Amino acid sequence: MNKLKRFFQDFYLVLVLIFLYAPIAVMMVLSFNSSKSRSQWGGFTTQWYREMFESPVIMEALYNTLIIAFLSALIATILGTAAAIGISSMKKLPRTIFMGINNIPMLNSDIVTGISLMLMFVAFGVSLGFKTILFAHITFNVPYVMTSVLPKLKQTSKYTYEAAMDLGAGPIEAFFKVVFPDILPGVLSGFLMAFTMSLDDFIITHFTKGAGINTLSTLIYSEVRRGIKPSMYALSTVIFVTVLALLLITNFAPSKAQMEAKAAAAAASGKKPNNWGPKLYKAVLVATSFLIVCGISYTTYRHFDNSNSDELYVYNWGEYIDESVIEQFEEETGIKVTYDMFETNEEMYPIIEAGAVQYDVVCPSDYMIQKMRENDLLMELNLENIPNLEYIDQTYLEKSQSFDPQNKYSVPYTWGTVGIIYNTKRLEELGIEPPTKWSDLWDPRYKGEILMQDSVRDAFMVALKMQGHSLNSTDMTELEDAKNLLLDQKPLVQAYVVDQVRDKMLNGEAAVGVIYSGELLYLQEEAELLELDYELKYVIPEEGSNVWIDAWVIPYNAQNKENAEKWIDFLCRPEIALKNFEYITYATPNIGAFEMLDEETQNNKSVFPDDELLESCEVYQYLGTEADDMYSALWKEIKAQ
Amino acid sequence: MNKNAKQVLSFPYIIWMVGFTVIPLLMVFYYGLTDRSGTFTFANVMAIMAEDHMKALLLSLAYSVVSTIICLLIAYPLAMILRTRNIGTGSFVVFIFILPMWMNFLLRTMAWQTLLEKNGVINSILSFLHLPTLSIINTPAAIILGMVYNYLPFMILPIYNVLAKIDNNVINAARDLGADSFQVFSKIMLPLSVPGIISGITMVFVPALTTFVISNLLGGGKILLIGNVIEQEFTKGSNWNLGAGLSIVLMIFILISMTLIAKYDSDGEGTAF
Repeated sequence: MNKLKRFFQDFYLVLVLIFLYAPIAVMMVLSFNSSKSRSQWGGFTTQWYREMFESPVIMEALYNTLIIAFLSALIATILGTAAAIGISSMKKLPRTIFMGINNIPMLNSDIVTGISLMLMFVAFGVSLGFKTILFAHITFNVPYVMTSVLPKLKQTSKYTYEAAMDLGAGPIEAFFKVVFPDILPGVLSGFLMAFTMSLDDFIITHFTKGAGINTLSTLIYSEVRRGIKPSMYALSTVIFVTVLALLLITNFAPSKAQMEAKAAAAAASGKKPNNWGPKLYKAVLVATSFLIVCGISYTTYRHFDNSNSDELYVYNWGEYIDESVIEQFEEETGIKVTYDMFETNEEMYPIIEAGAVQYDVVCPSDYMIQKMRENDLLMELNLENIPNLEYIDQTYLEKSQSFDPQNKYSVPYTWGTVGIIYNTKRLEELGIEPPTKWSDLWDPRYKGEILMQDSVRDAFMVALKMQGHSLNSTDMTELEDAKNLLLDQKPLVQAYVVDQVRDKMLNGEAAVGVIYSGELLYLQEEAELLELDYELKYVIPEEGSNVWIDAWVIPYNAQNKENAEKWIDFLCRPEIALKNFEYITYATPNIGAFEMLDEETQNNKSVFPDDELLESCEVYQYLGTEADDMYSALWKEIKAQ
Repeated sequence: MNKNAKQVLSFPYIIWMVGFTVIPLLMVFYYGLTDRSGTFTFANVMAIMAEDHMKALLLSLAYSVVSTIICLLIAYPLAMILRTRNIGTGSFVVFIFILPMWMNFLLRTMAWQTLLEKNGVINSILSFLHLPTLSIINTPAAIILGMVYNYLPFMILPIYNVLAKIDNNVINAARDLGADSFQVFSKIMLPLSVPGIISGITMVFVPALTTFVISNLLGGGKILLIGNVIEQEFTKGSNWNLGAGLSIVLMIFILISMTLIAKYDSDGEGTAF
């Protein structure tokens, strides 16, 4: 009976542990997967581990994460321990108030905490960056320290403290000799907890970070746009295994006798005896300090490596440049580039508007450029500094005029269309002809097979275009119609996603998806690498679609305008534009680069559509706050249904 | 040190709290109670009554209640088992359950996507074994699973902590006096563990109520929770005032949890760590 009970208990424990550790196992496996896809096994490789150590972006993010976690945990531990001692001698009412306020950051949702801190930093003109993240982390860490110190403090007897004083110890001495050792376990576990919380935080960091700084979380978030690089999995695996190994070492440390023998042997060989007790905190402290030291030496090295004052702050989409291009620019010009990424135009706008971060050059999309221009957030370019502008095809400059009438503020970087991508094999299975128009996405046979874009404008564009309306419509009846159409479609939709369309299509999760044309080349290459038994094809629907342009602009508060112009000019150089095209696979408006492409790519109508195809396509325009609100209210109705 | 000198030790943190907790919260109230032009209004707070917002709030409440209950049902027996075993030290148990947090939260949740997808890991295993496949990705079930997964440690730890503190002599005494296992559980264990349960419930319920990442990654963007609404108002740049107004509504729920904690856990016993 007892045996059976024990068996069930063990079984249950194992089950819960499997539940907790299964995703971690998945990530570890993925870190050795030679395919970039999350769900296709392409063979064993250690390539991602190499890439991880070679990538300055990842290493810097790692360093930031660790130093912020360490500093915030340390400061929070000091603040929190002192405060815990202080309030234990307070009266009940002030103590209740104190604890109430103290609990706020722990109990409040991260999003509100993050937003409230951001609002305050922006209101008081504190520029967002390393220190604002640090302040925010300290703020949410102290409550964790308090909750682990207070119970220990309660257990200590005040008589031992008084006895120490009676025996002639000063108050400080008495505290450190008598009280502190008693509460030390609480202090250490508070530190550990704070460290872990800081390490794992994404939301609060996301709202309080500024230019040129990323922690691992925010870096991963910006990579979601084009799929997470497997080197992230590699990094997580390394961190995880390190911590796990330390835990095992400290918990199953050899017995004391063995330790002494070892220590003697070590002493004999002239080494310092290694006397780790079974205290895991110590091990974690050692590990973190080791990592911090590594980090510091690394950044010092980086610092001396780039010891010049000439700077440039770039703000671009995630994964939207070949990183070697940045290095080449730095080498050629001697300008130190601080490179930062955003995921959506809407996320970028308030940051530029608030001015808390001073970027020199930004790459927003068409309608957002218009909005920035209308709100005086842009500076005119000095075109004399950008001679390579001549390589930009006149067609795209003309198209740009819909948002930048005199081409005074922007230089096109990439362009493309929005269309339907489809899985040939899956369509055959379903017995459906390949789609040619938007209205095909309302075919009930597609139930559960459609991936729609999770963005207001793109979703409404599909419905508006299908009805033959302009995608810049602000007509309430047209929009209501569009809303009802999208509502009708919702039961057929598998998911509303942004960039996961790529992974999901590669993985055969859906038959059709709405996607940006720039993803196509990447997807086809990857499908070939994976030797998939189906093709992914792209079509611009007959009813017309959106043609979009991402262009470089200089914000009103740029500090290094000339460097920014050098940057733009550099990117307009045909070889550089070609390099970027090959990396990001979004169509280039650079005629010089286009001419260097092989014929097959040049004639790829999916990537470089004919003017004929483009005729029915429109560029998004900024519609004003009122229309924005209307769109987002309607979109919410659809999503909430 | 006399009492006053001791109290001085808490001053730095009091100043810190005013600067980094109270003032930022006032900013949220300022934004939430004004419109874009800065005039005072209740419209942003009352917007919760709008059909979409109300629906999102009710959904969030439903999902977070369900996932809190599931967490409790999983965590309590687990904590009981852990208590009867002397698995290393207490800190070892803590460590086992916070260890997953050293893997980034976003990556862990993405990994569940990989596991649950139509052609994902679990389904590949199931179809290899000729078993019927699961299709819970992009459904409420996947969101609840994500919530349970992410917040389970916050339920296990406080319950384990209070259970571990129960003196074995108390239980033995009850047995000696003729209590059976069920009575020991209902008369001794359960009442003594209430602070841990309450603390666990709030630590799971609040983040589950306000999450937006889990619903985005595992719900396929088809299910709108109140956290998603607020996040969209801020990051999609449309209306900060409305976002702040809805945040105020959320804070009311948080206030309720705080009162609960204060009522049942006045000694701070049921703390997680």
